[in-house]
Amino acid sequence: MLKVSGLTKRFGGVVAASEVSLEVHEGEILAIIGPNGAGKSTVLNLLSGLIRPDAGRIEFLGQDLTHTAPEVRAWKGLGRAFQIVQPFHEMTVRENLMVGAIYGKPGTSMQTAQKVVAHVIELTGLSAKADTQADELTLVEDKRLELARALSTQPRLLLLDEVMAGLRPAEAMEAVELVKRIRASGVTVLFIEHLMPVVRALADRVVVMDHGQVIAEGRYDQVAANARVREAYLGRSA
Amino acid sequence: MILVGLLLLLALVLPGLPLGQWRAFLLDAALFAFLVSSLALAWDMLARTGQLSLAHGAFFGLGAYAAALSAPELGTIPALLVGGGLAALSSLLLGFATLRLHGMYFAIATLAFNEVMRTLVLKAEFTGGPIGLPVQPPFEGAYTLGAYYLAVAVLFICTVVSLLFSRSRLNYAMTATRQGEAVARVLGVPVVQVKLMVFMISAFLAGLAGGVYAMKTMFLTPHDAFGLVRAVEALLIPIFGGLYTTAGPLLGGLIIVSLETWLRFNIGGGGGHLVVYGVVLVLTILFLPRGLIGLFARRKGAGHA
Repeated sequence: MLKVSGLTKRFGGVVAASEVSLEVHEGEILAIIGPNGAGKSTVLNLLSGLIRPDAGRIEFLGQDLTHTAPEVRAWKGLGRAFQIVQPFHEMTVRENLMVGAIYGKPGTSMQTAQKVVAHVIELTGLSAKADTQADELTLVEDKRLELARALSTQPRLLLLDEVMAGLRPAEAMEAVELVKRIRASGVTVLFIEHLMPVVRALADRVVVMDHGQVIAEGRYDQVAANARVREAYLGRSA
Repeated sequence: MILVGLLLLLALVLPGLPLGQWRAFLLDAALFAFLVSSLALAWDMLARTGQLSLAHGAFFGLGAYAAALSAPELGTIPALLVGGGLAALSSLLLGFATLRLHGMYFAIATLAFNEVMRTLVLKAEFTGGPIGLPVQPPFEGAYTLGAYYLAVAVLFICTVVSLLFSRSRLNYAMTATRQGEAVARVLGVPVVQVKLMVFMISAFLAGLAGGVYAMKTMFLTPHDAFGLVRAVEALLIPIFGGLYTTAGPLLGGLIIVSLETWLRFNIGGGGGHLVVYGVVLVLTILFLPRGLIGLFARRKGAGHA
């Protein structure tokens, strides 16, 4: 579904992503893990088009999207939730979702958008807060809104950037169930996560990054046993 | 909405009311208030996309000069459209150059545009340069209230466009663009197109108002048509009345211009009213962060009203 090859991004002298190649298959949940500064968020920003790569290629559903604008990628079915929640503060939860529902798929009528939003609100458990101003939400609700807004664009592939960060374990496990429900509804998921229990519970496959490079790939137990991965997490002296 | 309707109705019937010996003066003051309110409404549309423009005085001035110069050939209505069209065209060029700029940088670029336009008009010969340009009254003076009703028409158009914007799907795109451009793009909002389109419509309306202004004053100078005071009014009024609304700039414009007229009359011109502008702006920001409309409207979402 998504094919990334040789993706490279430099910020000044720092190589944030170096020849990153990975593939996401339709219907799976893929996790990208790695220490802080490994380049995970850079890869997500490259995928959603917020930064332009210096080299490499992004192919989604057979189309080359390497040089397209973020909105075009959204139209093609690429959804994205941010690590730092950025709700539109002056809008209600419902209005936040309407933006994605109207513009995520060109040609969506207002009626269709309203139906999509109602569905997403129910799916993400935001019914009680649907008409609350976004700046009055709690952190947990903010996180759900962030996820819900990405879903409102009706993505085929959903990119999640540490959407569980800051949640308590019980809340994180609720979110895990939510992501499972999302996948069950036919959406492929690529997520970045620090919380290992979440990765173990969700990911069909794990890609490990360190210093901008992919250093391992496989099932959770495989990469957890990998010597290079242990070294990256625990330090060279370990 | 009711308020908006009432104000427009009042504008329509004002000449028929028994205004006594002050009639001519009041109608002129009202006409000018309508044009400035139109300009404020136009400015506010662009502000909804998060762009703070200081070029609206220049769009007003371009519309004024273009309408004045083309009216003898084309007639009144086509000349006004030419004025709006030239303002829109210039906003498109300015937009291509600047719409990737944000906040203060965009504001400074638009301020520079205003100065460039004034200098061009000042140096050109066909505009009359510093001497000024005599302008025909609308419809060659056939109707006493011609300019007045043109101003009402422009105000009506600006109000309707402003209302349509807040009720359409575009309102979501504009508000999202203002509150988080990167997020809006990731959600599929074509931010650049939205900003350019709104910029053009906004400039067109400002140009339209400028054209009527020219035909009313019947004389233009670069200093008057491209004065910074008008650019400041265009942003002061929505802030005072209530940003991102229709009733706000409309009501704000009528109040501010009435106040200005009254002050000019009582304390004379010469900049005294500018001091009042400053004071009003500061007081509004301090005590009415959502403007006059904020006093009436409850806290609302994407900025209806």
